[in-house]
Amino acid sequence: MPYKFRGGVHPDYMKAPNEPVVVVTPPPQVVIPMAQHIGAPCQPIVKVGDYVTMGQKIGDNPAPVSAPVHSPVSGKVIAIEPRPHPLGDMIMAIVIENDYQDTPCTDLAPLTEEQLKDPEAILARLREAGIVGMGGAMFPTAFKIRGGLGKVDTLIINGAECEPYLNGDHWTMKLHPEELLKGIELARIASGLDKAYYGIEKNKMDAIELLNSKNPAQYGVEIVPEEVKYPQGAEKMQIKAITNREVKPGGLPAGVGCNVVSTQTAYAIYKACYLGIPCYERILTVGGSAVNKPYNLQCRIGTPFRYIVEQCGGFVKTPKKIVLGGPMMGLIATNIDAVNIKGTAGILFFTEEEDRNVENPTCIRCGKCITVCPMGLEPVYMYAYFKKGDFENMKKYHILDCFECGSCSYNCPGRMPLTHSFKTAKLLFAAKAAEEKARAETAAKEAEKK
Amino acid sequence: MKAKEYTFDASYQPQVRTKTDTSRIMLDVIIALVPAMAFAVYQFGFKVLALLAISVASAVFFEWGYRKLMKKPGSINDLSACVTGILLVLCLPVDAPLWMPVIGTFFAIVIVKQLYGGIGKNFVNPALAGRAFLFFSWTATMTSWAVPKALGGVSVAADAVTMATPLSILKEGGDIAAQGYDYLDMFLGFMPGSIGEISALALLIGGAYLLIRKVINWRIPVAFIGTVAVLTFIFPRNGYANLDWMLYNLLSGGLLLGAFFMATDYSSSPVTLNGQLLFGFGCGALTVLIRYFGGFPEGVSFAILIMNLCAWAIDKGTRGRQFGVTKEDLKAAKKAAKEAKA
Repeated sequence: MPYKFRGGVHPDYMKAPNEPVVVVTPPPQVVIPMAQHIGAPCQPIVKVGDYVTMGQKIGDNPAPVSAPVHSPVSGKVIAIEPRPHPLGDMIMAIVIENDYQDTPCTDLAPLTEEQLKDPEAILARLREAGIVGMGGAMFPTAFKIRGGLGKVDTLIINGAECEPYLNGDHWTMKLHPEELLKGIELARIASGLDKAYYGIEKNKMDAIELLNSKNPAQYGVEIVPEEVKYPQGAEKMQIKAITNREVKPGGLPAGVGCNVVSTQTAYAIYKACYLGIPCYERILTVGGSAVNKPYNLQCRIGTPFRYIVEQCGGFVKTPKKIVLGGPMMGLIATNIDAVNIKGTAGILFFTEEEDRNVENPTCIRCGKCITVCPMGLEPVYMYAYFKKGDFENMKKYHILDCFECGSCSYNCPGRMPLTHSFKTAKLLFAAKAAEEKARAETAAKEAEKK
Repeated sequence: MKAKEYTFDASYQPQVRTKTDTSRIMLDVIIALVPAMAFAVYQFGFKVLALLAISVASAVFFEWGYRKLMKKPGSINDLSACVTGILLVLCLPVDAPLWMPVIGTFFAIVIVKQLYGGIGKNFVNPALAGRAFLFFSWTATMTSWAVPKALGGVSVAADAVTMATPLSILKEGGDIAAQGYDYLDMFLGFMPGSIGEISALALLIGGAYLLIRKVINWRIPVAFIGTVAVLTFIFPRNGYANLDWMLYNLLSGGLLLGAFFMATDYSSSPVTLNGQLLFGFGCGALTVLIRYFGGFPEGVSFAILIMNLCAWAIDKGTRGRQFGVTKEDLKAAKKAAKEAKA
């Protein structure tokens, strides 16, 4: 029986694309950014003019927190230069001209029977296959699991998919239930555990039944149907729902003995280990009122948004913003020439229709932000102190413990920019800390001179 | 359509918002007040409509005029001024002259609400403050209660017959049963009193609507009414039986109007959940204290006004439990802070 968390909201599902996943023909040119994970960006290991095969490693970095990138197509490298990154800025990227042969790379062989039971072999493969958290965080999975060894007693797979619009995870469950369970089994073996829990929101009963029909127990997996409430899919909420443990403020999931891996990551783990296919493809949802036909697409990494929109019948209305991920926590892209990366769970093209912001946001002190905050914070006061620039009280009101789920802003009748302000405040805190550190260092140096 | 020509906004998360906005909430409050208003018109005649029209019009006018004069963005569309106008009339006696709500709304909207920055910034309930202002300026008018239609009264005329409200009878130790109305009459609203406070039934319907629509939560009204019920049940006066005394106290005066519509005013009540309970307890206890020991028979409005002044302090003292923090954690943190000091 899953435990409940306090707060949360119920946004409209908007999960329109209810037809099977469409496999997208890769574009004539793919652009592979060197940064598709949290940690040290990759360095290109191919040159312009090189011929690369599908699945060949083209960028890597030996740093522990990093993940290599692979070519999603076969073809010729035509440029290595900064290109627009979905999360802003120009970032070094490798541009590959597709020869439409899809010549596979044989560098990664499927793991042998013994290797599939060996945690070390699995972890090495996860690193080599460039697997990162595909729910959006893009944290290198091998590093995450390795970091939890000895501390983690519960492995949780996140199948809540609580964000409106997105249903790529749902489709992954429906299309590849057995593969998914095998992937989860591998993650469980790599973590050195006997059991993994797969938390899925109850609005996906068809997927839950399908997974249960495949006898998840033989893979050491238990399916846990969860309450339908945003942000059920947040890491902390998943842990609470399944173990009733609460991550301490400022703490990590491993601090309460938990690791959370997303659905599509588990599927990518399966592909990497059983098939020897690295992470260069994913299922993503395209939606929003600007798009002609919302779809779930099985799409290679490095496909430009412009090309993706064309696959969905182009625009029917003038789009005003591009949202990467779900509308609650998703980030904004401003360049349609950017490409999808490993963590892109959805691309939403919104018009004014979805927009309910107003010219003069006014707090009416209704306290509805407090009732929905899953962290038990008081957004109304956090915002007031943010406006005053009162850092001491911002800290006292735990602004740094907000994980920006957006529930307060979603529920605000006065349309206050709450979540956005807390995000800004956290950046200010970071800048302040950096400044203080620099000042302390100069002071120490001067003292040394004397 | 080619995608090339488009420019994209940098916007902030989340990209979706709930439908319910401020004006929808205020509209819900107005809808919730319809039963009370309708019953008042039935009971006291069309003068109620005239008072309502004048009050709402002047409240909106003052809101609009002040914002215009001060070159601030307009705010009449949020309907909060309408709510203030309606609530002010609901706590007037029907014999109030037609100019009275104009003065009341001026005080409520301009002095109490706008001078402090408008909606969300006022620290006392504007309608109640407006009523308090009128109450002390024209005490005689504000405390003469026309006989309602149901009791054979002819109100509205200048020399209207007046009668005592149940509360003043209770205060003076009179016998309510001799007044010509029983519990059912009091519940339905066939008794003298302010325009909007007489019908418990109408107010309960409105309160239920607000709860269903999630405009308010149960904490303030339940704590408020519950406290009054418990205190009056335990401490009956003037020879009444416990239950009789409690029921008379619950059904008369502005308790239900205050508990559902006034004490729950967003900007002048606490926002923390425990704070709202405490606020309700405070309102209930003060109401009983004023009814028992004050100079006037009714205490609801002053109890709420006094608690309004405590709302911010209550907020600070009743912060909710943060996710991941247990009671032991808090104790340990306190201990550590103490040791650090020592």
